[in-house]
Amino acid sequence: MSALLQPIFFKINPDTSSELVLNNLLASVCKVAYLSTKKDRLTFYDTFEWQAYENGFVVYKKKNHLILADLHSRNEACSTAFQRLPFSFFPKYLPGCTMREQLCSFTDVRGFFRLCTVEEHIRSYRIMDDNDKTIGILSLTSLSIADRKKENPLTQYFSIRPLKGYQKEIFDIEKVFASYEELGRVLDFKELFLSIMKAVDHNVLGYSTKIDLNLDADAPIYTSAQRLLQFTLSVMRQNEAGIRKNIDSEFLHDFRVAIRRTRSVIKQLKGVFDPDETTRYLDFFKELGKLTNELRDLDVYLLRRETYYDYLPLFLQPPLPLFFNDIEASHRLLHKKFCRFLGSSSYTTFITEWNHVIKRELLPDADKAPNAALSTKTVAVDSIKKAWRKVIRHGRHVSKETTDSELHALRIDCKKLRYLLEFFSSIFPQNTIIPVIKQLKELQENLGDFVDFAVQVEFLHKRLEVLSSGGEKSLLAASMGGLMATLFQKQEEARRKFHRTFRLFDHDETSQLFHDLLTSNSAT
Amino acid sequence: MKTIALYSIKGGVGKTATAVNLSYLSALLAPPTLICDLDPQGASSYYFRIAASKKFNSDKFLKGNKKIHSNIKATDFENLDLLPSDFSYRNLDIELSEEKKPKKKLKKNLEELSDDYRFVFFDCPPNLTLLSESVFAASDIILVPMIPTTLSIRTYVQLTDFFDANDLDSSKIRAFFTMVEKRKKMHRDIIQEFRNAPGFLRQTIPYNSEVEKMGLYRAPLNAVLPNSPAAKAYRNLWKELTTDLEQK
Repeated sequence: MSALLQPIFFKINPDTSSELVLNNLLASVCKVAYLSTKKDRLTFYDTFEWQAYENGFVVYKKKNHLILADLHSRNEACSTAFQRLPFSFFPKYLPGCTMREQLCSFTDVRGFFRLCTVEEHIRSYRIMDDNDKTIGILSLTSLSIADRKKENPLTQYFSIRPLKGYQKEIFDIEKVFASYEELGRVLDFKELFLSIMKAVDHNVLGYSTKIDLNLDADAPIYTSAQRLLQFTLSVMRQNEAGIRKNIDSEFLHDFRVAIRRTRSVIKQLKGVFDPDETTRYLDFFKELGKLTNELRDLDVYLLRRETYYDYLPLFLQPPLPLFFNDIEASHRLLHKKFCRFLGSSSYTTFITEWNHVIKRELLPDADKAPNAALSTKTVAVDSIKKAWRKVIRHGRHVSKETTDSELHALRIDCKKLRYLLEFFSSIFPQNTIIPVIKQLKELQENLGDFVDFAVQVEFLHKRLEVLSSGGEKSLLAASMGGLMATLFQKQEEARRKFHRTFRLFDHDETSQLFHDLLTSNSAT
Repeated sequence: MKTIALYSIKGGVGKTATAVNLSYLSALLAPPTLICDLDPQGASSYYFRIAASKKFNSDKFLKGNKKIHSNIKATDFENLDLLPSDFSYRNLDIELSEEKKPKKKLKKNLEELSDDYRFVFFDCPPNLTLLSESVFAASDIILVPMIPTTLSIRTYVQLTDFFDANDLDSSKIRAFFTMVEKRKKMHRDIIQEFRNAPGFLRQTIPYNSEVEKMGLYRAPLNAVLPNSPAAKAYRNLWKELTTDLEQK
């Protein structure tokens, strides 16, 4: 009795009795016989960015198994033994199986965390033909959110799953269901899943760091900037819980990007805010960023665990657990410290104040913020132009030796330009902004690689200096030496690539793209 | 995928009862399983209350893979599917003779099923024809139920002679006794004689009125009467056969 074919779901109206459907409607079209009653608890998991959902799947734990099922039919795609009920887990740590492969294909950095637990009360019936042969299974499911038993069930629905070879016969019954609109309606599992998530206040696909604000090109820049700041603050706030629960490193990463974007809006849009007011906030955001620097660095090393193993020959790998254990211990400590800060009154008071500031609609005094009333487009074009020229000017001045400080500084210039392009992307025609971002991205990647490798070499060097000598530590020192040599080579590779990459960026074609962008009529 | 043919030249020896009961046990213990009803009488299809679709016939069966796939039906038992037979199967031999390489036809036609099933059972019609030869080529085991009588022994010898004469692999043949009535001396003597004969399984299936009643229950014995002596005997037979298959 393999019931893995496409089922239908028929959601019963809240005021309709399931018995009525069962006794009158179904009995008139087919024979049904009671089969079983069972209760199940399903605990749903997904990432903060809903990557299982986006790929058309739901992930849940049922009994002692973790199941990956089709979002529309809830047919099982694969499953694996899963005894515990962790708050979160990384797919890469599941035992080698199809499930692990599938989940890892959705994301390699995000952790899956517990969304909610529902209780299913299922009464099943056999649907039979004239020979009393089962041709499908009809299940009446009553769904409730676990631990909210006192409330009425969240929803009640029938599902009909045809048995192999009996799709046509079941299809005829489905048609009868579909015609009884006054009793309920046909839907797919995705809709049921969404209603479960809604009941537990999860906004499916409600999180994105992409700035998609549809700014008004003619609105005062102050108004647009306030909207940008509201957005960056909302990203920060949405990530706080994930940071606290240590689900994955992306929460802190997005939190930090939001801080940088916030600072960038205030600092780069000159004359838009009252500096007497913003200086204090800028300082706080700067400190907040600094407070997370080390924690982020440790996150990055932990993410690169496999890569570090790959960098070394087999005989230099054994001491690495010592290195990573040390990193993990430091991480635990710093994480705890930062979480304490997130819960502190100084942070919450600051955020409350800031939230108040960015919601202010009244433009600041013109003598303190002379550009606040200028149109968004004017300021956007002007600041992008300046930032772009700066990148070109500084890039051209990078010496033949391409020193570390030159590349570090240029990387920051590029980042600033990138942020501006992202902030104002909605007021430019997409066909002009996308190629510009693409060109810039390549240069940023080169500079990003350089700085990343440089930071890693420096970090390892510092760790090496504090290592005591003798025994296991000497072996670890050898491994770290091996890592530093490899990383240094990669850093130098990135350095060598710089001039060629910059030439491609500092080119007539890019210049034309920027020209097109900055002279284009705003699309919105 | 392992294929097991329930085969005997002689009729009424319990081929269908064995195919139905063993396939059920296989689906229970080593799923998933398919039973192919090759007998135009459609007894195993009947036991599972399954009728072939109106469009299905011997022609579609001979077309193989996809046509077979779309006509497989689920039984009422988890992980056990059935390819029903159709009355048109009575002409299967004639149609088969018109095919290229008819003896390899069945094996080729079922190739795609290996992704879906771990065990496939053939419930064969009682004769020795081209279809039987195609079954022999497609099967890993040819399981021959025998009533402990002289006539049954004779048909068994006919079968092994046929294998030898046609240079077929007789090591695939496994015989076992069914409808055994211990009170009959002849039954006891024959079983004793063949107890250690090569290719004979030791487990026997007792004569049990419940086996005959399967036609009323229309379900495998282990699903409805698991404590009956025949149900227990089928369980032991399946155990012996799977051990045998593992060693193969």
